[in-house]
Amino acid sequence: MSLFNSLSVSASGMTAERQRAEVLVSNIANAETTRTATGGPYKRQDVVFEAQDVTSPFSSIFDAQMTSQGAGVGISQIITDQGTGDRRYMPGHPDADKDGYVTFPKVNPAEDMVDLLGASRSYEANVSAISAVKDMIQRSIDLFK
Amino acid sequence: MLDPLSRQLEQYMTLLSVRQKLVSSNIANADTPDYRTKDIDFESEFREYLTNPLKSAPNVTDVNGLRVKPDGNNVDLDREARLLSENAIRFSVASNLLRGQIKDIRLAISGGGTNS
Repeated sequence: MSLFNSLSVSASGMTAERQRAEVLVSNIANAETTRTATGGPYKRQDVVFEAQDVTSPFSSIFDAQMTSQGAGVGISQIITDQGTGDRRYMPGHPDADKDGYVTFPKVNPAEDMVDLLGASRSYEANVSAISAVKDMIQRSIDLFK
Repeated sequence: MLDPLSRQLEQYMTLLSVRQKLVSSNIANADTPDYRTKDIDFESEFREYLTNPLKSAPNVTDVNGLRVKPDGNNVDLDREARLLSENAIRFSVASNLLRGQIKDIRLAISGGGTNS
């Protein structure tokens, strides 16, 4: 049924926005990280969204043929920003190079905070869509009363 | 269904749920690069449904006239929010009307005795 499929579409939007928020939070948390498992300072990451078909747990092939073009969203890839960040003169720092400079991650907390707000708003928009659809389903069920 | 009027109401509700799914899909893809807003021409699709009840899936088209953001996405969240509540209200009106129809038939079955 089409209405239940809408729930899957909005849920895919919520999942995608949540993952985006996770990546952004990790960028903010690591804004000053100079040492990582792969060596060197932390590298900023970003998600790329892509329209994807959703599968509803109970949808049959017939349903898939009849109800059309409902595209959900998913993350197609997570890209790593290869740029290098600021070099600060901190001779006492354990990660300082021979000239006494430490390379910090290329993270601009303001930029990530603004993105995070966007992710949070988009998440809320998906939640509103779910509650509107849930209301419609409830009204259909009320026809039995 | 029961009579032509309830059949029309049912089709109206079906078409509304198809449209609601497209709105959900537009909202979910509000940040997807190169995604274009999708919608159906509700009125003409509904008219077609009334004349031809066995019509298969409605035509989904890209919506023109929306501002395209630098990433190639043209989803306008305000437009989608409006359609979201509009569809819910229309659906609620239709379901209330349909419930009235069902109630009348129940009344006829019970001979007008008990209204339950």
